[in-house]
Amino acid sequence: MTRRVRELCKQFGIPHGVFESYAVLEDQETVFVGTTEVMEFDAVRPMRRGIRLARIYPYSLKPTTFGMQVLGAQASRNAVGLSDEQAKLLINGGCLEIEADVEDGFVLLRWKELVVGVGFYKRPVLKSQIPRFRPVE
Amino acid sequence: MTRHTRRFPQEFIERYSQFIPDFDAFLDAMQRPLKRTFRVNTIKTTREKALELMADLRPEPLPWFDLGFSLADGEGLGKRIEHFIGLIYVQEAASMAPPLVLRPQPGERVMDIAAAPGSKTTEMSAMMQNSGLIISNDPSPTRVRGLIGNVDRAGCLNVVVCRMDGASLGRCVAGRCDRVLVDAPCSSEGTIRKSAQALDRWSVAAIERFPAIQRRLIVAGYHALKPGGVMVYSTCTVAPEENESVVTYLLERQPEAEVSAVELSGLAMRPGLREWGKEAYPDVVSRCRRILPQDNDTEPFFLALIRRPE
Repeated sequence: MTRRVRELCKQFGIPHGVFESYAVLEDQETVFVGTTEVMEFDAVRPMRRGIRLARIYPYSLKPTTFGMQVLGAQASRNAVGLSDEQAKLLINGGCLEIEADVEDGFVLLRWKELVVGVGFYKRPVLKSQIPRFRPVE
Repeated sequence: MTRHTRRFPQEFIERYSQFIPDFDAFLDAMQRPLKRTFRVNTIKTTREKALELMADLRPEPLPWFDLGFSLADGEGLGKRIEHFIGLIYVQEAASMAPPLVLRPQPGERVMDIAAAPGSKTTEMSAMMQNSGLIISNDPSPTRVRGLIGNVDRAGCLNVVVCRMDGASLGRCVAGRCDRVLVDAPCSSEGTIRKSAQALDRWSVAAIERFPAIQRRLIVAGYHALKPGGVMVYSTCTVAPEENESVVTYLLERQPEAEVSAVELSGLAMRPGLREWGKEAYPDVVSRCRRILPQDNDTEPFFLALIRRPE
């Protein structure tokens, strides 16, 4: 487990065991996560290995929506529960004002106990960091 | 039969009435719109949880796949939160069959040689419990972007995405794969049920464009197998040139290749053809299977299960 993955685990209270079966690969900008076989595959140079777990910025680490959807389920801190309407608003790229028991910074967005993505919280504004695709209705 | 002739080209009717059984029922089925179907993605959720969330649409289970469901009214399915977060994957029912026939196992090394948009890669990833390795390839820059998007959304941690000519990739991984899926690019007659334009584009000339690439891919897929490895060759077309003829081509090149019987409990299938036009196919080719739209209310599909001997 790399320093950056430990950082994510600490920030969101994700048990280290979640990453035990997986390998991590980092370049200058991105942390990727996948199976050991994915990271060791060397027959050709692939376009992508596994899933982006986080983007590396000079002073912060930004978890990705898809990485947290699959590996953030057991997070125990810095996660905000959302209603149906709030979830749709944020998935569609919006922001909302909300009082939440989380630290300022990147937070996980939960809907019906499932991680839908990542937001940025600066009390009291919660801003979506979810990549935009087809609008959710 | 005359009631169909305004819609289907005469050449289509003359060609396919020769060997498609219950031909009127086939044409009727090809004119009906497809039911919307989806697959529960067990990487992200359980069948029970997904059904609880989707209960308002009253999903009906498919008889041959406990994670596949059809909807009487699937309007807006792709705009639901469940779709966005990858709990479900919108996928045509017959297109769920090739991975079920291939049966990839956890920890194995699998290649999906023509993978975009990723429905079968993501299905296999879930079947493998997100373990091992899937080499998921598509040569098209545009289509590979969609493939990566779907792999991300489905949460597949066991996938590498490549953008290569499939035949070249097959050579690079020669003898290294436990299983290979060759869901070959095809004339896509199956999509006629999805789009009227597909029928407007239909022609024998369009069909004749595909066998060359299909032959390259089936041979490359076979070479990628380890001894004892298994390959599924599939298309969504009924044209024999793209199906039985391609399997026959492989058997001529690799006479040791074994064609196994395709079985999928609950899914009605017809045997592969024994002949077409002037061409006679080896007896074993009848072990391939044709999924016809009138039998299961799906797209048509062709499936061949091929084993490389130890």
